[in-house]
Amino acid sequence: MYHCCPGQIGPSVLDCDMADLAKEGKRALDAGASYLHLDVMDGHFVPNISFGPYVIECLRKHLPDVFFDCHMMTTHPENWVEKVAKAQGSKPGLLCYTFHYEATEPRGITQKVIDLIKANNMKVGLTLSPDTPVEALLKYGDQIDLALIMTVYPGKGGQSFIEEMMEKVRTIRAAYPDMDIEVDGGVKPKTVDMAAKAGANLIVSGSGVYKAEDMANNISIMQRSVEKYGLEIIATN
Amino acid sequence: MNSLVKSIIVLGGVSLQSVNAFTSISRSNVADISTTSLNVYGTPRKVQIIPSVLPADFGKLGADCKRLEEAGCDRVQFDVMDGNFVPNVTFGPETIRWCRKYTNMPFETQLMVSEKCTDAMLEEFVEVSKGPNGEPGVVIVHVEACTHLHRALGRIRAAGGSPSVALNPHTPAEMIENVLDLVDHVLVMTVNPGFGGQAYIPTMTEKIKKIRKWIVDRDLDVDIEVDGGIKATQETIGECAAAGANCFIAGSGLFAYDDLSEGVKELTDMALEAQGVAVGAK
Repeated sequence: MYHCCPGQIGPSVLDCDMADLAKEGKRALDAGASYLHLDVMDGHFVPNISFGPYVIECLRKHLPDVFFDCHMMTTHPENWVEKVAKAQGSKPGLLCYTFHYEATEPRGITQKVIDLIKANNMKVGLTLSPDTPVEALLKYGDQIDLALIMTVYPGKGGQSFIEEMMEKVRTIRAAYPDMDIEVDGGVKPKTVDMAAKAGANLIVSGSGVYKAEDMANNISIMQRSVEKYGLEIIATN
Repeated sequence: MNSLVKSIIVLGGVSLQSVNAFTSISRSNVADISTTSLNVYGTPRKVQIIPSVLPADFGKLGADCKRLEEAGCDRVQFDVMDGNFVPNVTFGPETIRWCRKYTNMPFETQLMVSEKCTDAMLEEFVEVSKGPNGEPGVVIVHVEACTHLHRALGRIRAAGGSPSVALNPHTPAEMIENVLDLVDHVLVMTVNPGFGGQAYIPTMTEKIKKIRKWIVDRDLDVDIEVDGGIKATQETIGECAAAGANCFIAGSGLFAYDDLSEGVKELTDMALEAQGVAVGAK
């Protein structure tokens, strides 16, 4: 087993100036971030409303070459696939539609949503809230491009990292050495080592980036952590 | 307006000054007018053109709000949609809060969200809709999303907001008849909410007239706003203004102009004319 997935930092825009999203996105990218993690919240799946597909479409016009990971914290992720797909980038593979298992499996439509995302030329991301066991994701592991493990209960920024979630990351990394595994929630320079050691290669950070005193330094610390521990995982395997 | 005044108007040829003698006009939203004929029932209220942010560039929403302010808009409307009450998701309270940094324009927030969101987030929306010095911002709840509408409107006022209620096209005016004393403003949706660029629903004109009559007859200080398909045409803004609406949400209808201030002027002039007010007075 090995893990050579590139380490990348994807800031969440929830903690930035949301009236100037394009500039804020660029600011983080210029400071060393590799992609943007866009949290869509509908006030029902989580108790907060953030923004919807049209905002992503607008942002895409300003940032045509950037990878967008669209994290859909919505009760009906199937409703937004086509709308989000309008935000395709300048070339294929720059858009990932990441939806919650908890929003689709009870209605028996997880497979349908995966198929719909692929039909709309986007990468498929599947995410689990903290209380959902990792087996839920493994069930669809062969079909997805990205696994997002929530390390807080989704809904609001600024929560504390839940260390117990690293067991899920380890399990997925062992089963899928080549998969992009992303963590989201309370990840900052202090907590990133745990995520990197467990095998995560994509790091989402909101306040850890946008509320940092030195944004570039924080991003660099997190990037180096993933590279260091990712390489160590290769060395020990 | 009492029955004596009504019969004078029916006879015609009465100057506005006589009408004014019978009606109370010491309200900030009553137009400064000088005309001898009235198209609208009651003394016309100030025409306000209110752009919706829906057609804006959400990559730089603050800058677009500034542009609207510079074009002379009276206030700006934020359409909050939760993907459940309407089939679209737009933005939430944080976006509105950040926009305040870019403009001093009054804000108006229309909550096209289900009862669950209204109940949980109402005070938060009231807070972010406030003016630069804490002035009340207009917060609009949908009658269809409020089992306890009377209570919800009271919550807006108590939290320091300016309460308003909106009605979807199918909703009869009677649904808000008993809360007119609690609101500063009523919003009659003239399209089915959820998306911009739709066409005005002509059957809404009668609803506007009905609500206007209640407001005037009960001597209430309430604006009527219309939202959906409003353009500088007789069939949309003209008809609504003559029916008694004085606040006009303009989305794609305004952003279609290269020069937004020209759009604001055209819309205003057409509304004034339809009210029966001399063009140029505002």
